[in-house]
Amino acid sequence: MSATPMLDIDNLVIRYRAGLFAPRLKPAVNGASFRLVRGETLGIVGESGSGKTSLLRAVLRLLPVESGAIRLDGEDWLALKGDALRRARQKIGVVSQNPFLSLSPRLTIAEIVAEPMLAQGERQGPAMREKIAGLLADCGLPADFLDRRARELSGGQAQRVAIARALSLEPGLMILDEPTSALDVSVQAQILNLLADLKESRGLSMLFVTHNLKVVAHISDTLLVMRRGDVVEFGRTEEVIRAPAEAYTRELLSFGRR
Amino acid sequence: MPLIDIRDLSVSIPTPDGDVHAVRSVSLEIERGEIHGVIGESGCGKTMTGMAVLGLVPKGARITAERFHFDGEDLREKAQSLRGRHIGLISQDPAAALNPVLSIARQMDDVIRAHRDLPRKARRAEAASLLAATGLPDPERVLKSYPHQLSGGMQQRVVIAQALATGADFLIADEPTTALDVSVGAQVLALLRRLVAERGLTVLMITHDMDVIAEACDRATVLYAGRSVETGPVEAVLNRPGHPYTRALLAALPDAAPHGARLAAIEGSIPPPRSAIAGCAFAPRCPQAMPVCAAEPPPERVRGTHRWLCHLPEDAA
Repeated sequence: MSATPMLDIDNLVIRYRAGLFAPRLKPAVNGASFRLVRGETLGIVGESGSGKTSLLRAVLRLLPVESGAIRLDGEDWLALKGDALRRARQKIGVVSQNPFLSLSPRLTIAEIVAEPMLAQGERQGPAMREKIAGLLADCGLPADFLDRRARELSGGQAQRVAIARALSLEPGLMILDEPTSALDVSVQAQILNLLADLKESRGLSMLFVTHNLKVVAHISDTLLVMRRGDVVEFGRTEEVIRAPAEAYTRELLSFGRR
Repeated sequence: MPLIDIRDLSVSIPTPDGDVHAVRSVSLEIERGEIHGVIGESGCGKTMTGMAVLGLVPKGARITAERFHFDGEDLREKAQSLRGRHIGLISQDPAAALNPVLSIARQMDDVIRAHRDLPRKARRAEAASLLAATGLPDPERVLKSYPHQLSGGMQQRVVIAQALATGADFLIADEPTTALDVSVGAQVLALLRRLVAERGLTVLMITHDMDVIAEACDRATVLYAGRSVETGPVEAVLNRPGHPYTRALLAALPDAAPHGARLAAIEGSIPPPRSAIAGCAFAPRCPQAMPVCAAEPPPERVRGTHRWLCHLPEDAA
């Protein structure tokens, strides 16, 4: 294991502009600092408006940041531009909440999983098809899924395809945005088990964002709780769960069955 | 007499490829003043059961039941006239339930006017008092607002106020907190509990979330493949489940396993909605299945007011 963290975020501030003459808004992310160790899973919890989506979008370079630093795999991630950024983006795979919105209903599963590879200039052919079949197998899907379409799949199967696609460029970092929130409990368990297997077999680092504290408490190594743009809690998951510092975290933990 | 008394309800929807059995056999007894949770995964028939009580099944759907009663009246004949007067609906997405281009005052007034013969000023006062009853701090300001100016939690409170405005004493809440943040959802559930205590309401809570059942309900019924397989006090269903499906569902939750350990996923999938089922619907996925399970309908097991359908003897649960 290398000593450089997969992701190192230092004092990150993200602020949206309200309008030319409007007063400046409170930052959406107000000085977030944390690191994600290689091969670990960092869980990010927070409710709507807590800044977790802004934070993700900044890590994906979809949003400008006001100040602070992001180092991905030791590299100054905010300094990259143009082609260099485009190539470096291969290091990140993304899985979003609703697989039926993120998978085209018109394409076959083989075409869907091929797309990132084609975009990065890999050649179409039997070798690629074999690689796709391998990715699907790693995600628990048989090869006859290659020629099916997303609308024929169940929610759990579709999410497995989305995970296979995210893995197609062999990223080191997986960003998972509410990956099980649209799924039933029994399917959620299957997907969480799959993610644990992939983390193990591929040495993946994961950023797992959700509003479901119980899910993230189970799967993450470190846990970050956000509220209204502030990081209110950051530490080893077991410690945060055992002794939550914030009333808000305790409230989330106490909801439901005891 | 229970307020809701349903025995062996089935709802089938004819299609060119054969009948879809959305509800196969649901029995449900809900006493006045209780919050009764109906829990199940996608396709188990929980929403369709609620829609049948509201008289809102799809056109052409066939409803059969041994009993299908609300307060002694047959819902097959009376659902249309009971809906709105006695039975209200709180749906999952409050933003979709409210009209985005009308003020809250107008939308509250529409409901109050349809149900009560009051002068305009009295209706306005009634609207404000109903909004206050749902815990909205500044009802006058809410009345002047449009839905987009309210948060999700506030919108859901307006929808609940509208349901109260009809004078309904029985509410069907279909995933009322799923679209809300956990802390806001907890507040909405606390509000429903308060309204049940203060106004003597009865609530049918449809959900897929065991935590919602634990947080808000008195009794719960578990549905699987269109059948009610277990019913009882929440404490018994969650802590001493009788049916293997309920046990499997609870075991699949992320907080059921030690940190980082593998979760007990349920292998296989639910039976297709068009298929016929001879024995127990869960038999093909059940770790404790015996040959008889796939062949014959399971008998009822009883432990006080806690009942479930299973071939396994009662002491196996």
